[in-house]
Amino acid sequence: MKAQNFQDPSAQMKRAMLQALAIGAVAVVLYMFCVEPSQTSLQKAKTDLSGLQDKQAQMVRDLKGAGQVKERLEAIKVQRQDYLNGLLHPMLESYAMRAKSLLDPLAEDVGLSVSDYTELPVRRLPLPKPQAPQLYARKPIRMTCTGSYATIISFLLRVEQKLPLVSLEAFSLKTQKDPDNQSAMIVLEWPIKGENTAAAAKGGVKK
Amino acid sequence: MKAPNLHLNLLHASERQSSSPVRLRVMLPIFAVLACVGCLVWWGVLACQLILVKSQAASIQKDLAAKNAEHGDILQQMGEARNAQAELDQLTMYAHGRRTYGTLFKNLAEAVPEELQLLSLEIPEPPVQNLLPPGAKPGPKVKPLLGPTGTVENVSLRIVGRAPKNKPVEVLMQALEGDVFTNALVIAKGVPSAQASPRIHSFQQDASPNNDGVRLLAFDIEYRCAERRFEK
Repeated sequence: MKAQNFQDPSAQMKRAMLQALAIGAVAVVLYMFCVEPSQTSLQKAKTDLSGLQDKQAQMVRDLKGAGQVKERLEAIKVQRQDYLNGLLHPMLESYAMRAKSLLDPLAEDVGLSVSDYTELPVRRLPLPKPQAPQLYARKPIRMTCTGSYATIISFLLRVEQKLPLVSLEAFSLKTQKDPDNQSAMIVLEWPIKGENTAAAAKGGVKK
Repeated sequence: MKAPNLHLNLLHASERQSSSPVRLRVMLPIFAVLACVGCLVWWGVLACQLILVKSQAASIQKDLAAKNAEHGDILQQMGEARNAQAELDQLTMYAHGRRTYGTLFKNLAEAVPEELQLLSLEIPEPPVQNLLPPGAKPGPKVKPLLGPTGTVENVSLRIVGRAPKNKPVEVLMQALEGDVFTNALVIAKGVPSAQASPRIHSFQQDASPNNDGVRLLAFDIEYRCAERRFEK
């Protein structure tokens, strides 16, 4: 630069413009390559932090309620066990055999003669919400018996008293000439273990 | 005595006539430098914030990792409780749908007049469950639902018998409207015949006379029983 440039106002202006442009360009580069990426990183880090804080808060809440969860689980298990004790489990893969083993003593007590036990198709129960992995169903067992009306009713009353989960699904009594030998068909229903959807899903994945 | 004045003439002659007291050739580089410095400071502040946030995140992650095993146990228990509750709900549905008829039949025996002869008593089997998805037509490719959509099952009691005249039948029907049968039998009169209970299917002179040569009235009456509601 020549000495006369410093005296010439237009030359000084040009020099100032050039300096300003150069420094401005540095500022723009700084913004584009330093500030802007830092802002993006900070935003992402803040989002991550917020997610972690939520997770931590949830975890703290869960850990605080651990005692309650345990108590609730125990209470539910106790209540469920009452029902599970009343389920009909197959004997030698036969529900009718199990029903026979439960009902024959009651029939003998009242003097009812049972001639046959037959399994009827399973009836499904409505699904709970949310759906449980282990489902339960209704298993009807048809029994054919002969005895007096009083005997049959005594038997029914005993079944209802001794087996609190058994329900009468169907009943048919045709009167015969001999009042001590009425023929009755009784369909009693038990709750049974149904499909295990979790196990079925695992089996499906394996395939 | 007057002090001597030192006067530096920093302005060019042409600049003396300018309206602006601050010259652009001075301000432009200053603004540029300020902008540059501002960017640097901003970047510095952002970098500090980033370091702070990342250190907080690292600390939380460390805390989460420390509690992870314990929390896993709790989550497992919560899942177990949810499943057990769902199982309990379904078993409760079954229990609420349970009906007993022993007492009904016992009371029925006491309510039947002596002149009346019962031929059959029947609680028919419920119809086959509809497990088709809504709107689906039956077919080999249709996968049945895991449970029925309806929660109510209707139950009825059909009484068929004979009587020498209609009076004993009326006595029986009146007795069945009594308090002892309230919980088991539904009495609905003055409603459309399809919903009425009792419904008289037939009430007519029997074709064959009895042993004494008396022609009897045969009746077939259906009572609606309390429905089975498989609900929680």
